[in-house]
Amino acid sequence: MKPKGHEHPNKRCATREIDLYNRRAKPCPIPPPDRPVLTIAIPKGSLLADSVQLLAAAGLDFSVLLDKSNRQLQVTDPTGTARAMLVRNGDVPVYVECGQAQLGIVGYDVLREKAPNVANVLDLGFGGCRMSVAVQADGPYQRAIDLPAHSRIASKFVRCAREYFQSLDLPVEIVPLYGSVELGPITGMSEAIVDLVATGRTLKENGLVEIEVLFESTARLIVHPVSYRLNTYNVGGYLDALRSALAQAA
Amino acid sequence: MAIHQPPTGARDLLPLDVAQKHWIETKLQDVFQRWGYQWIVTSTLERVDALVAGGSVRRDKVIQIYDSESEDLGLRPELTASIARAAVTRMAGVTHPQRLCYSANVFRKPPKGSASRQQEFFQSGVELLGVGGVAADVEVLLLLADCLERSGVADWHLLLSEAGLTRSLLEPFPQPWRDRVRSAMARLDRLAIEAMPLDPALRDRALILFDLRGRPMDVIQQVGQLDLTPDQQAMLDRLKTTVDLLQDYGRATEQTLPIVLDLSLIQTFDYYTGIVFEAISSADTGHEILGQGGRYDQLLGLYDPDGNSYPGIGFCLNLEPLHRVLSSGEKLPNQLPASDWLVVSAGPRARAAAFVYARRLRTEAPSLIRVELDLQPTVTRESARDRARARRIGRLAWVQEDGTIETETITKRKGPEAP
Repeated sequence: MKPKGHEHPNKRCATREIDLYNRRAKPCPIPPPDRPVLTIAIPKGSLLADSVQLLAAAGLDFSVLLDKSNRQLQVTDPTGTARAMLVRNGDVPVYVECGQAQLGIVGYDVLREKAPNVANVLDLGFGGCRMSVAVQADGPYQRAIDLPAHSRIASKFVRCAREYFQSLDLPVEIVPLYGSVELGPITGMSEAIVDLVATGRTLKENGLVEIEVLFESTARLIVHPVSYRLNTYNVGGYLDALRSALAQAA
Repeated sequence: MAIHQPPTGARDLLPLDVAQKHWIETKLQDVFQRWGYQWIVTSTLERVDALVAGGSVRRDKVIQIYDSESEDLGLRPELTASIARAAVTRMAGVTHPQRLCYSANVFRKPPKGSASRQQEFFQSGVELLGVGGVAADVEVLLLLADCLERSGVADWHLLLSEAGLTRSLLEPFPQPWRDRVRSAMARLDRLAIEAMPLDPALRDRALILFDLRGRPMDVIQQVGQLDLTPDQQAMLDRLKTTVDLLQDYGRATEQTLPIVLDLSLIQTFDYYTGIVFEAISSADTGHEILGQGGRYDQLLGLYDPDGNSYPGIGFCLNLEPLHRVLSSGEKLPNQLPASDWLVVSAGPRARAAAFVYARRLRTEAPSLIRVELDLQPTVTRESARDRARARRIGRLAWVQEDGTIETETITKRKGPEAP
């Protein structure tokens, strides 16, 4: 044992921590880290811009990720206190559960689907959408319970779909797909789909209609459980900063 | 032709893996013995009912063995149940405290959806039976710290909680919310608590309990500000005495125990009754859970024929994560020990003499020496030297057909490859 228990791992940045608590984004002049620092898994796609904007309010500048010419999957904040990893939405909880990232931003839909072992601590509010059952607009079904037993349901969200129909006590066959799920009912491969709906435009343009909402989803901040308990790399300080940034925006 | 592979998730430990595992186990076993703990070996196979009696093991996590003639048997997923069973039924009449230790393999079904398919794990641990109280708690925590220090883990954290205190603080919550709050705390799901349709004062209390973690003195002070019953105050005082003792020890030995108090470090089931703890490696080694344990004062009564219970506390160290963390350091042996001698017979008629000479080397040395016989037909003495060099053997005995024996020290070949 060495007396290292409560020291911040990035000792050179002690002043930075205090700044975060006081929410003054004063950069501390240090070179990029040569050792492990706080790592945040950020999803590519629709949540990216809002994620980068929110982290900026907490004093972390990852705006380079919004640059269209950027091809780097890992970037360091100019102050060297944190690193962002750009990964697929569905992979965010994998990195956070394994501890390669201490923080992650991910849709609630992914958390419901993967049920990862992560700390679920902050609703970030953006990225609103809903998990819904949709069928052909000109078909006979008004409610999910109208679907005949042993229907085929196409979905990327196999667990969510299975749990939902189990809760209805309706036996169905789930067909796992990776994309373009709307084609299921159109081609007649499945009677219905379970998918994320944001505006409903895609459904409409493909002649589908939403008949049930399983749950509403927003972006969440997740934390590696042990890092949360131990406040590794001051994750608690960043959580407080993000929480007050959200409160201010509201 | 069939290629025989091990079952999914099974691992073979090859000689170097074994040498490293043995190195770690030897360090731990040495510490256990220095603290006065005695070895116990229990059966790998147990009745499933005995394994799940304590509530910490779910029946569907046990790898069961099907045998039409016997009762339901399973491979042990941990040792505490087996030791509790053996201690109360087979060691009646011994004086307390009993200090027991073990080094064993355990088996668990991998959780659904988990990337790892590993089913067999190695654990070394202790159980201290028959005494409650702060001193026993402190002994076990210091023993854990000693194990990690002696095996060369430089930087680690001790997560500490008090299951009885947390359980008691949750009592004001009406069911089913009490179980739901507890489950959300154990899973670190703060949003689930925020969304619970509870009375605002109760929900605030749940969030306060959820956030009780950090420096021991800060957390103890925060708990002290809650409206505590005399029982809760007594538990808090006990916890404070434990932390004080650990810190006094730390000051006297110039080692600071790296404690983080975290009252949400609980299980979703009732098993632990007092302190609960985990030893976690540093952030740069991936925060591996090196060991875990706690106090279980109701468990032994489940195995006692008369239902008499007595206190118990223990921990186990998880060898695989410990091995991974130590692999990043320089302490583990990184190659197998080479043999000390290569005994070579110069011809077929010298073989008997070679075996006899090898026996002499093995038995006459005061300490362990490793003696290999060269089993291949030898052409020249130089080719024997090459074989010794290839196997990193330092000395060669050349046994001739007339019975004469010449020994020499093998020097590294001079050449471009020599360092």
